[in-house]
Amino acid sequence: MSWPLYLALKHLFPTGKRLSFFTLISIVGVALGVGLLVVVTSVMGGFGSEVRRMVVDTEGEIQIKAAGAISNYRDIVKKVTAVDGVAAATPYASGVLVVKNGSKPSYPVMRGLDLSTVENVVHLRRYIRVGSLDDLDDDSIIVSSELAHSLGVAVGSRVEVYSPLTLERLSSDELFLGRTVTVVGILEIGHQQLDSNTVYCTLRLAQDLYGLKQSVHGINVRIKPGYNEDEVASRINAVLPFSIRAYSWMETFEDFLWVLQLEKNMIFFLLLFIVVVAGFSVASSLLISVVRKTREIGVLSAIGGKTRLIAACFCYQGLIIGVFGTAVGLGLGFFMLAVRNDVVLGIAHLTQREETLRRFYQFSALPSNTTAHDLLMIIVASIIISTLAGLLPAWRAARLKPVEALRSE
Amino acid sequence: MSKEPVLSARGLKKSYLSGERKLEVLEGIDFDVFAGESVSIRGESGSGKSTLLNLFAGLDLADAGQILWGGKAGLDATRRATYLGMVFQSFYLIPELDALQNVLMARRMIGRIRAEDKKSAQELLARVGLAQRSHHLPNQLSGGERQRVAVARALMNRPPLVLADEPTGNLDERTGDAVIELLLGLCAETSTALVLVTHNAAHAVKAMRHLHLTAGKMSSQP
Repeated sequence: MSWPLYLALKHLFPTGKRLSFFTLISIVGVALGVGLLVVVTSVMGGFGSEVRRMVVDTEGEIQIKAAGAISNYRDIVKKVTAVDGVAAATPYASGVLVVKNGSKPSYPVMRGLDLSTVENVVHLRRYIRVGSLDDLDDDSIIVSSELAHSLGVAVGSRVEVYSPLTLERLSSDELFLGRTVTVVGILEIGHQQLDSNTVYCTLRLAQDLYGLKQSVHGINVRIKPGYNEDEVASRINAVLPFSIRAYSWMETFEDFLWVLQLEKNMIFFLLLFIVVVAGFSVASSLLISVVRKTREIGVLSAIGGKTRLIAACFCYQGLIIGVFGTAVGLGLGFFMLAVRNDVVLGIAHLTQREETLRRFYQFSALPSNTTAHDLLMIIVASIIISTLAGLLPAWRAARLKPVEALRSE
Repeated sequence: MSKEPVLSARGLKKSYLSGERKLEVLEGIDFDVFAGESVSIRGESGSGKSTLLNLFAGLDLADAGQILWGGKAGLDATRRATYLGMVFQSFYLIPELDALQNVLMARRMIGRIRAEDKKSAQELLARVGLAQRSHHLPNQLSGGERQRVAVARALMNRPPLVLADEPTGNLDERTGDAVIELLLGLCAETSTALVLVTHNAAHAVKAMRHLHLTAGKMSSQP
């Protein structure tokens, strides 16, 4: 080990002592900044990945849509499944419904599923909490959990459903009664918006309610593992007619994801200032150390220490504080992530606002997704800032003349 | 005793500015010290003893004159680490290092520490009577013990020259005597040249040669 590194370690972790107060405070300062950065970037990343999970699990990675209904969807499904990278495709119909349980109405979004192919594309079965997807037929529906709660229905309940077509028929003086269906399942995805207003039914029932005959509103596509959504979407577009277009989930949520990324970057840079402030604290403490150790610096020169190596000793102290602070901060960050939901629920419980949290919060649990890229950014940024904090004291130490340093009081 | 001086100075001059006044501290010093020789330099406070020692250590530059260390001019940091050892009045040990680590610090300046370096440092500490205190921090040692650690540090790299600046200035008389005996004895054993700057007449006369610095000029004392 070179002597500047050895002496830097000894200054920070003196022989016979556990840890100097300066070292402890400096490491804690950097660690707090790093810990917060880890938590915030992970939670922001979690929102992005939660949106992806929600979209991909309920709609597949790629959605094929047209300006109106798609009439020849069987041919299109055949063409799409032949495209390289496509694992499966399933047609769907969607729109707003009126669902009534007695006198209680609700206006959820309906999604009509082709039961023969839907499970090749979306993973609905894993979100069904009560009932079964196997019981779904043309006279039944599956409702999302909060919708079931607000309508006051359970599995076996019978409800009336109306589509906007009903209004059209009423305006042309036709008598149209609502269709009575049975609730055969309750589903919970974990996203407040989806859980509060979604109804799943068979494709045939949806086509009937919307008067689509043999048409559909779109096709959901699942891609094979290892393929890129955007590339596969481009290949699909190459085989589709001009009026029909395939969108990857990222294209569909492009604006939302952009805003999310912008927020994440802004918060990263704002929180990075905590590390910068910690860096200033390190610089200030090291400057005091240079003043306090002026005669020691003179002695190091007298016994053969090169000026640049004496400077390196103080730079190393910044680096070591950065490395230790970052390591402790990563540990702290991961610990905070591990207990994040307990903390959020604990605060909600203390303030008796659990219901508010559930109603306004998009997800049932605080999501988290830590990427290697984010971690690398945090590690590199905090270590660089801490090392830079050691530069000013190092420069000050390098400028000391040995004779004056030895003479100092 | 070798005829080649370990340190040779000719016509050394040094002055400082005090406000607008120029203070001539050294006015043409000629000096030689040979291997195994001990030379004491006495003088009043402000007579330029420490300035002279700083020039001998290569830590400061003379206004005029030349210094040769082993016949060569110039003493950069690397050569200073191997060519000379220094002992200061205030010991100047590194407070975060124990006695052994302080002694080894001199060796670290010129390369990695090997097992034999640790053995040499232990032997030196034993020689200065601190074998049992090698893992004590400076603040756990008395003044005399600290100065003995500083002596061991100065001799760690077996330098041809040791410069001691008032090494007993912060010690009581008895401890000071012991440190001077030790320093002179160790330098004699290892044929190391010693330049001892001191106020203490009793210590000065123990050196082989005694010089006096008055008004920037060096004179021999019988």
